[in-house]
Amino acid sequence: MKKIYYIFYKDFSSELRMRFAINALIMFVIVAVSTILFSLGSENAPQNVYAGMFWVVVFFSAMSGLSRTFVSEEERGTSLILSLIANPISIFLGKFLFNLVLIFFINSIITMLYMFLFQEFLIKNWMSFLLAFLLGNFGIAASSTIIAAIISKANVKGTLYPVLAFPVLLPLILMLIEITKSAMEGNPINDVEAEFLVLVSYDVIMITASILVFDIIWRD
Amino acid sequence: MKARYFIGGIIIVLFLGLLFYNFTRTNIEYESDFSKVMQSGKVCKATGVWVKEKSFEEDIKNRTFVFYLRDAKNNQMKVIYRGTKPNNFEIATNVVVTGKFEDGVFHATDVLTKCPSKYEGQNINTSGS
Repeated sequence: MKKIYYIFYKDFSSELRMRFAINALIMFVIVAVSTILFSLGSENAPQNVYAGMFWVVVFFSAMSGLSRTFVSEEERGTSLILSLIANPISIFLGKFLFNLVLIFFINSIITMLYMFLFQEFLIKNWMSFLLAFLLGNFGIAASSTIIAAIISKANVKGTLYPVLAFPVLLPLILMLIEITKSAMEGNPINDVEAEFLVLVSYDVIMITASILVFDIIWRD
Repeated sequence: MKARYFIGGIIIVLFLGLLFYNFTRTNIEYESDFSKVMQSGKVCKATGVWVKEKSFEEDIKNRTFVFYLRDAKNNQMKVIYRGTKPNNFEIATNVVVTGKFEDGVFHATDVLTKCPSKYEGQNINTSGS
């Protein structure tokens, strides 16, 4: 338990010092959101388009930022030392915790930008949106951490990541778009009960599978 | 070590089942009572009979197709479908429209027609000639 916190703290403080991931993420979000803003102009797109575009930006910002967790260890050559001082499960959970904090931070920025810039992006059922936001971030963080661990051993790191992540994250993104659409229409939470159950089971599967396979990936 | 994989495998299989069960579940329900369709304002599949007396309008330029549906309790509602008239519309015994009731009209995204079966209702006497 202590080791998980220490690994999280190490990543967090080194991120604060270098600000690689944070700067890349913020730049990406600003570019993506302003491109959408300029291309729309003063036109009002239908609401479900905004729900889709919101999660598209979230998906690609996760692609560009979260892949760095294990790649940076390999680049600096510290992965061997890391595997000496801690057992695989606590390494994974520490990295997962760091990614979770990162994605919560960046997604809150995206949400605020969307609400500020697009009048049409109006959420009527906050309860259902926030719950989807929470479960969605959890799922994205879990699957991107394990995919980052897989690609950190490969030679072509940058391109492999979206290729591997897309099929894994697709069901999650589909459900999140569906829930966001319904939250924007102001429907009660019961309407999207099936989608929420899919989200919960997705999160549980990702976390259990990651913990099971991580030490095999890590020792390789 | 072995026990860990065992428990993990069970958890994964259980939740995978839950995931697929919910993934295939649809929220769109069939509704044959139009008064409920008009109240709820949700996306549903309304089943009814085409009101022949009021006929239908087809606007080829705007690609809309407007007609009236009637349910078993004789409630009528106007249906606007963005598209062309489906085949066999005139002879259909039942019409299923998927869509949402808004501003006094039902906006359909899909129209299904149920055609009379050719294996029933034939008069035996006329088949002899």
